[in-house]
Amino acid sequence: MNLIEIRGLKKQYHAKTALNGIDIDIGERDSITVFGPNGAGKTTLLKIISGIMSPTEGNAFYNNKKYSESEMKKEVFYLGHKTSLYNALTVGENMDFICRLFSINHRGESVKNILKEHGLWERRRDPVNELSQGMKRRLALAKGFMTDPKVFILDEPFTGLDLRWRSSILSKIKDIRSQGKTVILSTHLVEEGFELATRVAFLHKGRFLFIKKKEEVKIEEIYGLFDSMGETGK
Amino acid sequence: MRFMGNAAAILRKDILLELRGRESLSLMLFLSLLLLVIFNIALDLDKDSVSSLASGILWVVFAFSGILGMGRTSMAERDEEAYLSIVFSPASPESFYIGKALSNFLFLLIMECFTMLSFVILFDFEKIIGLLPQLLVPLVLGTIGFSLVGTLFSFLTTASKYGEVLLPFLYLPVVVPVILGGVTSMGMVLNGNAGGTWKWIQMLAVFDVLYLAVSLLLFRYLMED
Repeated sequence: MNLIEIRGLKKQYHAKTALNGIDIDIGERDSITVFGPNGAGKTTLLKIISGIMSPTEGNAFYNNKKYSESEMKKEVFYLGHKTSLYNALTVGENMDFICRLFSINHRGESVKNILKEHGLWERRRDPVNELSQGMKRRLALAKGFMTDPKVFILDEPFTGLDLRWRSSILSKIKDIRSQGKTVILSTHLVEEGFELATRVAFLHKGRFLFIKKKEEVKIEEIYGLFDSMGETGK
Repeated sequence: MRFMGNAAAILRKDILLELRGRESLSLMLFLSLLLLVIFNIALDLDKDSVSSLASGILWVVFAFSGILGMGRTSMAERDEEAYLSIVFSPASPESFYIGKALSNFLFLLIMECFTMLSFVILFDFEKIIGLLPQLLVPLVLGTIGFSLVGTLFSFLTTASKYGEVLLPFLYLPVVVPVILGGVTSMGMVLNGNAGGTWKWIQMLAVFDVLYLAVSLLLFRYLMED
């Protein structure tokens, strides 16, 4: 059964068409990686899929219900280019706030365990604005683990990270997948995106060039597309 | 129960943010003191004139310091798109709004108490302290209206890069009834006519209910896009 259905999606910013004629079905346990060069419309697509942006045309359904009538926002975790953290609060206070919103025991072992798993327990009393970009991303993902959503929507989760943090975030997203969650991810890093995917899509100038099962695509094909568009995909 | 729990969590988070960052309340207090000093120097009032102008001066300070503070609390949500952690949670847009309105109300009330105390000292006008119980009702009702409208408009305008400039232009015309009610009823109390404030207090209460209903409705739409 499809969890998310997007039909005839179009997004226009004044004269510029960011997305045009997008259809996509996303099932439970799917892990879709959306590749594409800069300006292809990946962020716009993920914002619309997550429900934080309205399309100009088209419809989006969650569990066969229109977004506005569904419980979608309670079951989705979205991590965009920004971390959705309160920078002036400490690591522990950010987690505490999320626990209160989700009625999770904020003094419970689960918070401690998740912070430990993400290597943040020792930093729990530090303000978020003293953390490195990689640690902020890990904390943002830790929030996702804490709330146990059905769907993770991750927009360019590796952006701005060095190799060490990139592999750390990669392993965390693998954990998410191994828990049977639905993952929708955008990236222009071919190797990482390909490793995480069950299905692969390539977006260019607001349209899908293809959406295929991972087995039907060769990684070289994606590198080739990036090359032809003047980007490396690395 | 869950609704108020979520609103309380947002209020608690805003108080913590203020304690850590000191971005909203401290700016409001500083601006209010600055404005009072300017009024004090510019107007050079005797005791009789202070009594007739006190209410007007206080509400001008409340309005401008309040706008600054409410803009800052909304900016804290927009920074790093932190508000998305509330959007993607079981908290309804209404509980989000009430939580933010409560924190704005609390900060405004603190600023107003500070302003009135500073006014007493700067203008040598101790009469306010004795009349505090009668001043409290119009003050609280006016502050409720201020925070209800301010929460909505500050969140709306901070989406724009010119948000902090836009906010006073959108906000002040809408809160004119609150300013009018607050200035008049507090002026009546300060000038020995506390009995005549009833209709203004009624008007403030009616506008508070109206602002609450409309803002709750509009905030949901604001959150949906």
